[in-house]
Amino acid sequence: MKNQLNFRYVFLTLLSVFLFTSLTQEIQAQDIKKNKVRLKADYVKIMDEEVYFDLKASSKIDKKNVDVANIELTISNEFDDEGIKLGSVTTNMNGESRFVIKDFNTLKLDSTNTFNIVVSFKGNDKFKRASKSINFRDALIKAELVTKDSINYITATLIDKNTDSVIVGESLNVQVQRLFMPFKIGEEFNSTDENGSIIVPIEDGIPGVDGNLTFEVVLNDSDDYGTVKALVKAPIGIPIVDESTFDQRTMWSPRSKTPIFILILPNVLTFGMWFIIIYLIIKLFKIAKS
Amino acid sequence: MKPSNKLIKDLAPRKFGKAGVIWTWTLVIISVLGIIAYIDQVIKGQVVTNMNDYALWGIYISNFVFFVATSFVGTVTVAVLRLTKNAWRTPIVRIAEIISLACIIMAGITIMIDMGRPDRLLYLFIHGRMQSPIIWDVIIIPTYIVISLLLLYFPLLPDLAILKKHFNKTKPKLSKWYGKLSFNWTGSIAQKAIQSKSIQIIAILTIPAGFMLQTIDAWLFSTLFRVGWDSTNMGAYFISGASVAGIGALVTVVYVIQRAYKLEDYITDYHYDKLGKLLALTCLIYLYFNVNEYLLPQLTSKKEEITHTNVLFTGEYAPLFWLVTIGGLIIPILLLLFKKGRKPLPMFVIGIMVVVGSWWKRYLIVTPTLLHPFLPIQGVPESWRHYFPSMHEWVITIGTLAMALLIITVLVRYLPVIPIQRTADEQEELRLNKNTES
Repeated sequence: MKNQLNFRYVFLTLLSVFLFTSLTQEIQAQDIKKNKVRLKADYVKIMDEEVYFDLKASSKIDKKNVDVANIELTISNEFDDEGIKLGSVTTNMNGESRFVIKDFNTLKLDSTNTFNIVVSFKGNDKFKRASKSINFRDALIKAELVTKDSINYITATLIDKNTDSVIVGESLNVQVQRLFMPFKIGEEFNSTDENGSIIVPIEDGIPGVDGNLTFEVVLNDSDDYGTVKALVKAPIGIPIVDESTFDQRTMWSPRSKTPIFILILPNVLTFGMWFIIIYLIIKLFKIAKS
Repeated sequence: MKPSNKLIKDLAPRKFGKAGVIWTWTLVIISVLGIIAYIDQVIKGQVVTNMNDYALWGIYISNFVFFVATSFVGTVTVAVLRLTKNAWRTPIVRIAEIISLACIIMAGITIMIDMGRPDRLLYLFIHGRMQSPIIWDVIIIPTYIVISLLLLYFPLLPDLAILKKHFNKTKPKLSKWYGKLSFNWTGSIAQKAIQSKSIQIIAILTIPAGFMLQTIDAWLFSTLFRVGWDSTNMGAYFISGASVAGIGALVTVVYVIQRAYKLEDYITDYHYDKLGKLLALTCLIYLYFNVNEYLLPQLTSKKEEITHTNVLFTGEYAPLFWLVTIGGLIIPILLLLFKKGRKPLPMFVIGIMVVVGSWWKRYLIVTPTLLHPFLPIQGVPESWRHYFPSMHEWVITIGTLAMALLIITVLVRYLPVIPIQRTADEQEELRLNKNTES
C-alpha cells in the first residue's frame, strides 16, 4: 500500500513537471516579440502603357529601419465592403516589389469615382499582419509636341477621366528621359490653367540617341490621382555621336583590329631575329662543307 | 693550337662518381614524381591546386618567372662579357650557356603546366591577339630557346671534334656521336672564320633577345593596372633581377662542377673574384630598383599601394619579404664587398642565398598583388584572401626545378664544361706573350 502511494506521488510529480515545462515553453513562445511591418504603396499610371503599384515593406527593428524581404503581399480592390483579390507579389531583398495591373478596366469604382485598393500582409513568425490602403481617382494626361515659330513646345492637358472634366491648378513636371535620372525642363512648377493645360518650351541642343528624345509629362504623387505619366517621343534632339573606339585599331580591340604599329614592330623584330637564326643555321652547314 | 693531352684529359667529359650517380637518380626520381603529379592535375583539373578566383596565378607563374630570369645568365655573362672583351670569362661561359638553355626550356614547359587545358596550346598561335604581352611571350620564348642553343653549340664545334678523336679508341660509339655533332670540324681557316663571325652575331643577337624576354615578362605584369605591378620601373627591375638570379645560379653551379671535376687549375680564385664583383654590381643595381619599386609607393601614399606595401613590410608577407631582401640581397652585397667574401666557398654560400632569395622574390612579386584584386568581389570566402600552394603544386614545381638541374647534369656529363680549344689557344697566347716579354 505504501508503495502504491509512493508511485502516485512520483506520477503526480512527473505530470506537474511536464505541464509546468510545457506551459513555460508556451509562455516563452508568446514572449518572442513580433515586429511591425510598415507598408508603402504608390500608384503609378503610364499613359498607353502600364498601370502598377510600387510596394515597399520595412520594419523598425532595434531602432533601425530594415527592409523586409521575401514576404507575400496581397493586393485587393475594395468594393461594397468586399475585397476582390487582384493578385499577390513577394518582396525582393530590398523589401520592394511591383504589382502590374493586367486589366485596369476590371477595377471597380466606389460611388465617389474613387478606386480603393488594399495591400495586405497576413503575418508570419517574425512579423505581425499589416495592411495599407490607397485611394485614387483616374486621371489622364494628353500630351503632344507642337512647333510654333521654330520653337518646340510640349503641351499637356490633365483630365479627370470619370467626370470627363479638366483638372485645374495641379502642378505637372516636364522632363526628358536620361540614362540614370530624368532631366527637368521648363519652370519648376507648371500649374494647369483653367483649361487644365500647360505649355513648356523646349530648349535646343538636348542630345539623344539618333536624335530621338522621350519627354515625360508627370503628375507627381498627387493625393487624389497618384502618379500619372505621359510619354512623348520626338526626333528633335542632337544625335549622339558614338565615340567608342572599340571598332578602331586599339590595344583593347579584337584581333582583327590590332594597331598597325603593333603588327609591324613585333613582326619586324620576330622575323628579323628568325632571319638571323636561319642565316646562322645555314652557316653551320657551311662549316660542315668547308 | 693543338690542345695538350693533359688539357684534354682534364676537361673532357668523364663518368660520374658515386655521388654524381646518386645525384642524377635523385633528380630523375623527383622529376618523375613531378610528371606523375602533373598527369594527375591534367586528369582532375586545376582543382588540385590552391589557386582560386583571387590567386589565379600561383607558384607555377612565379616559378616560370624565376626560370626566365635565370636564363638571362647567357645574355649577361656570355654575350656581354664577350662583346666587352673580358678574357676571364673563358672557363665559365660554357656553364652559363648550359644554365641558360636549361632554364629557358623549363620556362616554356612551366608556362604550359599553368594552363588548365594544355591541349589548347595551339590556340595561342591561332587565336592570339598581337596586342597581348602573352603572345609576345609565346613568340620570344621559343626564339630565345633557339638562340641559347646556338649560343651553346657554335663554340662547342672545335671541342666536339677534339672529343671525337679523344674517345675514338676508348668509346667509339660516343666518338661517333661527337663526330656527327662536330659538323666535320677540322679547324680550317675557312671554318674558323665562319665560326668566329657566327659567334659574334649570336652574341649581339642574344642581348636584344634577352632584354626583350625579360621586358615582356615584366610587361605581363605591368600592363595590368594592379597594385605592385602597375609600374614603369618594371622592365628595368626585371632585367636587373634576372642578372642577379642568373649570376647567382652560375656561381653555385660553377662551384659544384669545379669541386666535382677537380678543376681548380682552370677555375681559380681569380675567376671567383671577378664573378663576385659582377654579382655585387648586379645586386647593387637590383637593390636600387627595389628602393624605387617599394619606397616610392610608400612615400606617395596612394591607398591601395600603401595597403600592398604594408602587407610586405609589416603584414602577412613581411617575414618572407625581409628574408628575401636582407638574406638574398643586402647580406650578399655586404659580403661581396670584401675580398674574403669573393673566395670560392663564401661565393657558393652567397650564390645559394641569392638563388633561393630570387625564387621567393618571384613568389612575392606574383602572389600578394593577386590577393588584393583590382575590383574586389563581395562576400568571398576568407580562404580566397590567402594562398599557399597545394601538395600537387609543390611536387610539380620541385619536379620542374629538378628537371632543370637534370638537363644541366646531362649536358655537364657529355659536354666539356670548360672550352678545350679556347683554353689551349689562350694558354698558347699567354706563353707567346711571356716569351716576347723575356
